[in-house]
Amino acid sequence: MENIKKLSPVVFKARPVKTEVRDNQTVVLEYVGEELGPYLTDLSHKIRWDVQDSNLDAIKPWGIAIPETPGLSVLENGFLINRMNRTQASVWHLAGEKPDDPDDSAYTETTDATMFVALTGRETFAIAEKLTSLDFAVPDKKAPFLLQGPIAHVPCQIVTLAQNGEHCGLLFTCSRGYAQSMIGAILEAGEEFGLRPAGETAFNKFLTQ
Amino acid sequence: MALTITCPICGKRNGYEFRFGGEEKGPRPAEHELNPETWCDYVHNNNCAAGVQNEWWFHRDGCGSWFTIFRNTLTNLEVDGPEETNE
Amino acid sequence: MNRFYQLPTLRIDPTRKKTFTYLGKTYQGVDGDTVAAALYANGIRIFARSLKYHRPRGLYSMDGECSNTCMEVDNIPNVRAENTLLKNGMTVKAQNVKGTPEKDFMGFMDKMSWAMPAGFYYNTMHKPASIWPIALKQIRKVAGLGKLAPDFEMTGKYDEIFPTADVCVIGGGPAGMNAALAAAENGLRVILLESRPWLGGFFEYRAAQYQNETPLFQRARDLAKQVADTPDIRTFTHTAMVGAYNNNLITAFQTGGADDSFDQRYIEIRAQSVVVATGCIERPLLFENNEKPGIMQIACAHRLARTYGLLPGEKAVFSIGHDLGLEAAIDLFDLGLKISCVADIREDGQDPDLVEIMRRKKIPLLRGWVATDAHGKKTLNKVTLSTLQGTRDKEFACDLLVASAGMTPVTGPLAVAQAELCFDNHTGFFLPANLPVKMHAAGRMLGLNDALAIEASGRSAGLLAAADCGSSVDTSLNEARADLENLPGPVKGSKMVTAPVKGDKTFICFDEDTTVKNIKQAIKKGFDVAELIKRFTSASTGPGQGGIPGHNLPLFVAQYNADPDVSAKPTTIRPPLVPTFIATYAGANHDMCKRTPLDALQKKAGGVFRRIGVWSRARYFSQDFTCRDEIENVRNNVGLFDASTLGKFRIWGPDALKALQRVYVGDMSKIADGKIKYSAMCNEDACIIDDGVVIKRGENDYYFTTSTARAGAAVEWIRYHTRYDGWNFNMVNLTDALGVINLAGPNARKVLAKVTDADISNDAFPYAGYREFKIKDTIPVRVMRLGFVGELSYELHTPSSYMPALWEILEDAGSEFGIRNFGLEAQNVLRMEKCHLIIGAESEQRTTLHDVGLGFLWDRTKTDTKTVGAFALKQTEKQDGRLKLVGFKMENSDARAPRDGSIIVDSKIRGYVCIARNSHTLNEVVGLALVDESLAETGTKLEIYEDECGDERLYAVVALTPFYDPDAKRLKM
Repeated sequence: MENIKKLSPVVFKARPVKTEVRDNQTVVLEYVGEELGPYLTDLSHKIRWDVQDSNLDAIKPWGIAIPETPGLSVLENGFLINRMNRTQASVWHLAGEKPDDPDDSAYTETTDATMFVALTGRETFAIAEKLTSLDFAVPDKKAPFLLQGPIAHVPCQIVTLAQNGEHCGLLFTCSRGYAQSMIGAILEAGEEFGLRPAGETAFNKFLTQ
Repeated sequence: MALTITCPICGKRNGYEFRFGGEEKGPRPAEHELNPETWCDYVHNNNCAAGVQNEWWFHRDGCGSWFTIFRNTLTNLEVDGPEETNE
Repeated sequence: MNRFYQLPTLRIDPTRKKTFTYLGKTYQGVDGDTVAAALYANGIRIFARSLKYHRPRGLYSMDGECSNTCMEVDNIPNVRAENTLLKNGMTVKAQNVKGTPEKDFMGFMDKMSWAMPAGFYYNTMHKPASIWPIALKQIRKVAGLGKLAPDFEMTGKYDEIFPTADVCVIGGGPAGMNAALAAAENGLRVILLESRPWLGGFFEYRAAQYQNETPLFQRARDLAKQVADTPDIRTFTHTAMVGAYNNNLITAFQTGGADDSFDQRYIEIRAQSVVVATGCIERPLLFENNEKPGIMQIACAHRLARTYGLLPGEKAVFSIGHDLGLEAAIDLFDLGLKISCVADIREDGQDPDLVEIMRRKKIPLLRGWVATDAHGKKTLNKVTLSTLQGTRDKEFACDLLVASAGMTPVTGPLAVAQAELCFDNHTGFFLPANLPVKMHAAGRMLGLNDALAIEASGRSAGLLAAADCGSSVDTSLNEARADLENLPGPVKGSKMVTAPVKGDKTFICFDEDTTVKNIKQAIKKGFDVAELIKRFTSASTGPGQGGIPGHNLPLFVAQYNADPDVSAKPTTIRPPLVPTFIATYAGANHDMCKRTPLDALQKKAGGVFRRIGVWSRARYFSQDFTCRDEIENVRNNVGLFDASTLGKFRIWGPDALKALQRVYVGDMSKIADGKIKYSAMCNEDACIIDDGVVIKRGENDYYFTTSTARAGAAVEWIRYHTRYDGWNFNMVNLTDALGVINLAGPNARKVLAKVTDADISNDAFPYAGYREFKIKDTIPVRVMRLGFVGELSYELHTPSSYMPALWEILEDAGSEFGIRNFGLEAQNVLRMEKCHLIIGAESEQRTTLHDVGLGFLWDRTKTDTKTVGAFALKQTEKQDGRLKLVGFKMENSDARAPRDGSIIVDSKIRGYVCIARNSHTLNEVVGLALVDESLAETGTKLEIYEDECGDERLYAVVALTPFYDPDAKRLKM
């Protein structure tokens, strides 16, 4: 096979220092001058599925039970599973070996349908509140949890991964077509806090913290 | 838009996340039951209540559900049920 | 001018100088100065000229309550100089001035006021009507506020923020801070908004005693520190609340300081509960020449000294109606101000301690006296005082008159939140009678004046707000209420509205130059309600939004009418409560648009992009906007088109077919494997809203496309029309998951065959077929043989991440044929030659499926599916008087194409041109139009009227369609 490449919808101006080719796609592990956060990491290459069924509770993606209540998420074995409504959940594969394709019509692979980024660092919510009125840092909710709503007027799925002091992080997806506008809006909102692009390694470190 | 709407899935949100779906008028009539008058009533004629009405909304920017709420059209506030006026 | 540098209340840093220019001259201020304070420190007394009469105007309220101190700062007009902090290098100019503020050539306008009674414009400028344009020009020359240069571009950085809060407290004075602290004690997230750059409000600048030898300003600082030390309270200072809407949506804007990343930012807060503690401003005293420079309100004079270190004048007269006036007189006297006399409207009721101090300091006090006239050519030099009845008077030379009738609550936030305000006889205030749900008022705006009572009231409101958020506060609330009951209640307010004067030059509204005489004129004309008098005289319609005329206008009208049946009501005020830049409302103004996976490649290929709906799309690939080369290449060779914006969906599940039957007019049960089904969706009125194809990919598993414009609404539409059925089906929007390349032209098969092993011969993969295979063994594609542009073509749907690779592969494979891009405009012409429709271009809201000639798509036999639009399709099938879609050619073969949207006329409008182009393929002008059915016969002459064409017309003739390849051979090649 010749050199056929997949491309992410997200393009940062920063220069990569470490990259890795995975499944026909170049993944940036680290950018020049990452230093301290807050970070914006492109995770669009991470595989994602939409799972829909009238009897969703009977479906156990890779052996993991889907949370019963819409708005709840579960992070297990590198899979983040978010209950969207009565019949629908999203599955985001964050870490580990590439999983096999599920053999069940309830699944639709949606990796290419959305752009997928992580916003991490102490100032995460200070940046987010410049883009949306959604409340990601609800004190009485336990992370991870899902919100479906607009960021910069674009419908998104947003998961609060962590919300304690220094350790704050959001993951979110929006329609792939909006990627460039969305990244521009986030970086502009984060400029005053020193928001910078970071590679996958920084996110992995965040995830294991 | 300052109106808030309570989505059964996502909770209370700003009104501009939603699309209005008209008054609640009951299930779609069968085609053979329709004549121009009943069709017009189902499609176009509305009660336009000056007070509480039961109406459809779609959470366009959120979970994508269609659902009904009660809204007082005089105050443009969502209310709990058909009788409440929220005064 | 000498400044105090040692006062503990100062908010300036005299060691840090700031340089600015005013009227071309360089001046110095200090850090912490507002523009107004810095000008005052440099001896500037006249800041502007008034709207109509060009009267000199000066410092009055210190809080930007009127246009007196609206100035042009760094080319931005109408900047409130009293609220704007001085920055190094600022350029400041006066507004509405011909010459200088000191010597304004339009100053004579003041003598013309007799010629301009209330309603002057309404009554005079339209008789005869031809006067108006001339008058308008002249009035604009002499009247108005700031001027905007035609090439003006707003500078600065504007931002926005949507912070989350349980409780929002408006007003960072003692009541507001106590409310915020009380709510935060209950673990709630609190936002505190304060219009000044610091917290403290009513206490902040005063040296009077709070308790146990602690001065008020110290108490303000202690409270501010407590607030700062409470992590759950977020304070936004220098933040003007400008709007309140349903369900406690509060909007505000904040002015950035030296360390902020923004100049101004818009703030929007949705709070569960709101506390309004905005305190009071002073009610302006109405007397002759009451706005002459040198006349200012109590807090203005007091804060000039205490906050900015500036003694407001040398020799002063006070005419006041509140103990604050006495306190300020004593304090300013101690700071070195000479005071000739203090006239107090109140005959009695003064704080005896203050009266005693004044006696000791030999400050003369006249009870039951009031200022009636201010003298001086441009600035004040003499004041006339008289008894309230006007029976005796006295004159005093002075350069400062501190004038104020009493207090008036800042009810703007309550008013815009639709609270009901009722006049209260004891306080003389408009008090909230009916507050919106989960909104509370506290502090001085309720008439409280005692420091401890103000604080207790704030605390109690904060606890009520906490209760709104579900906190259990019973015990603490009972305590707070008991505290409040044991403290002094609301104080009696002064009743006087106007001094005993005729009112010719007694200004009730500074912004609009409205006098008491004007109000009387309006009343004589029969206007009896303040709200209407406001319209007729324009009083309180200026930038101050009723700050100065505020409650004086309704009170004066009530008093003048002396009608006990009409209860005084404040006039309506609307957001924004203070003047706000449009740029601030616009905020960060992110331009959110969608880009296809080929965006970068197409830009590189010279694509000219246009924003179309939510998408940015390549419209042309050269500067030849007729796209001749792009079109000819598709017709004769092969072209590539990015159709990724098409809506794409998966629908599956046991009831998926039922759902498709509901929304598509065709019979979806008859979709053959490996074939595409073209169909349309109508709305209930049988009007066509969408067309697309449906493919059956498996048992109960379909893939369908929609037009670009309908992609966002497809799921919503299907779910809406099945919402009562309880059907079991699922949908996923794949619009962005899959990109689409249309490979079109007679050489398309040759190109595609080079990159796939699949059999794509015409037999194996005929027209209207559907196949799935791989490109170069790697890229999965879903391929449809369609012919939108009228040629052999393959629509390749492929995962978006592979789109750039696929594009390059096809370009590479096609290079031997001279493959090239074509853009949206070329596609538009190509499909029009073939008479393929674009919904929205050849249809509008009233156009039915029948009107555009697609009635054959409707399957009338599926009557049990409750298909959306089916009933209306039946009803409109034979309906008369509809606009029908026709093709046309120009009558005269060398005529140019009419513009899209031109109308078709005879004696009436009979239709319009949907699209018309000079077709390079056909070598003539062709187009599509919606015309009255009486004109739809082939051969009918159409008369076309273009915008601004005068008597000229274009003539066309209805022609047979399609224009290109009528036998449809080329699609099936």
